[in-house]
Amino acid sequence: MTLETLNLILLGGIVLGALYALMATGLALVWTTLGIFNFAHGTFIALGAYIAWQIASTEASGAGLLAGAGISIIGMFVIGMFVYYLLIKPFERNPDIVVKSVITTLAGATILENVINLVWGPRNKQLSPLLGGDMSLLGITISRNEMAVVALALVILAALGVFLQRAPLGRAMRAVAQNREAAQLMGIDVERLYAIAFGLSAALAALAGILIGSIRFMNPSMGSDPLMKALIVVIFGGIARFTGPIYAAFIVGLLEAVMTYLVGLYWSPTVLFAIMIVVLVAKPEGLFGRYRKSV
Amino acid sequence: MTDTLLLDVRGLDGGYEPLQIFRKIDLSLVQGASVGLFGPNGHGKTTFLRTLSGIIDPWDGDIFFDGVQLNRPGARGSRRWRNFNYDAITRRRMDPKAVARAGLIHVPQGNLLFPDMTVAETLSIAPYASRGRANAAETLDTVFRLFPRVHERLDHKIRFLSGGERQMVAIGVGLMAAPKLLILDEPTLGLSPKLRGELASAIQTIRESGVPLIVVDQDIAFLEELIDTLYLFDHGRISRRIEKVDMPTHEEIMKLMFGEDHH
Repeated sequence: MTLETLNLILLGGIVLGALYALMATGLALVWTTLGIFNFAHGTFIALGAYIAWQIASTEASGAGLLAGAGISIIGMFVIGMFVYYLLIKPFERNPDIVVKSVITTLAGATILENVINLVWGPRNKQLSPLLGGDMSLLGITISRNEMAVVALALVILAALGVFLQRAPLGRAMRAVAQNREAAQLMGIDVERLYAIAFGLSAALAALAGILIGSIRFMNPSMGSDPLMKALIVVIFGGIARFTGPIYAAFIVGLLEAVMTYLVGLYWSPTVLFAIMIVVLVAKPEGLFGRYRKSV
Repeated sequence: MTDTLLLDVRGLDGGYEPLQIFRKIDLSLVQGASVGLFGPNGHGKTTFLRTLSGIIDPWDGDIFFDGVQLNRPGARGSRRWRNFNYDAITRRRMDPKAVARAGLIHVPQGNLLFPDMTVAETLSIAPYASRGRANAAETLDTVFRLFPRVHERLDHKIRFLSGGERQMVAIGVGLMAAPKLLILDEPTLGLSPKLRGELASAIQTIRESGVPLIVVDQDIAFLEELIDTLYLFDHGRISRRIEKVDMPTHEEIMKLMFGEDHH
């Protein structure tokens, strides 16, 4: 393996890692606050990308990528809140909400995916890149677009981290995640916070979808593979800290890039799952996890 | 009638479906007065307070606070409807956030607060939650004066605090929410005698600063200094209402509640 190949693999892994970090953080946000796993997250990714395409693409409205991304992210925030009120809220105080929400979010994912199929059709589409052209880094040439994707993902994640740490709303969100009843007794509107957390998660999914759409092709089931990877990342990293899934995302991204080079695209998921199982056997709460869940 | 009463609970029934925990509770508080609840463990005091603050729905009865009815008027839905998904089909009769925002603040028993947040962060949430009723900076000063330990521990996470410190933060959070009535559920539970004394004098100071209290405790001497009226809670009912002037001693209470044989 030459140095150039190694750098190529590393950069590919970092791009993957940035995308996974964005998706996994969205998943972890819902997981920690509401205590459920959202199987519709992958479809949110696809829907976000398609809404952006509808606004941005010259084949459709042609309003430009920026307008498309903005409307898609805000739109997905609203759709996410709507999905919460429809699919999660009715079971909120049921003791078996974890099981119920698996079924309802899977149902939501299937319905949304078919809606996308119905509206936009199964043909592959692509968003225009954020930045055109190439640049050279560490002796290799990579596209500016991929660097922009990494930078944007990191900036958004940092902003989200600051929001959760500093903003009153973000702090209230962490409080609800850690002790729902104490938060309620302080006068925090738990339902509204849950809806906002779900909306934020969907908005992050939309951003991830747009970034994926600008690198690869989009189709109605484009979210299922990233959802699987995000699931690995979240379990692998643990959700004890906000940063846990982010570190794990880059580890998984780099591992995947290396595995794709070593054993090929077909076998790399197998190897990834095997590594995940080994890690979980040794440390069941995840690589960066602690004994208890919290944001 | 309701103008002079800060809190007026009329014929409150409640519990965890299908188990009724307390029945026909009548409890009233004139403006500026404090009451104590006393009774054995497991007789429904905490469940009653959880109902009062809207965590669980009351089955029957009304709660008026500061001239406002906190529960949705009217009877509870029929049994048939309650068998369906409560949150989707039946409307909640009480809303905990509305209760807290009205100024009825409940510091629950053995409050665990938010284990992974620092003391400073925890204290900063309450004014936000209560929609800024009070001057936050001023209240924060009051809390620090009451509990110097809380000030020392500002940057520590709640899960690293001792039980006493945690209780101090919990009461501090209650104060930050600018209570018109503060409910303290066994504030000195499981604390050493020294800490208990420290906390008791702090609660006394809170009382003297003009915040009315509902206090649950097992220590009559502690309650006696704080309250104007004592309610004895027995098997989910209020068995007796005692005014401060004829406050009984511990032995007399034991006799009242358990008969002559117990000491």
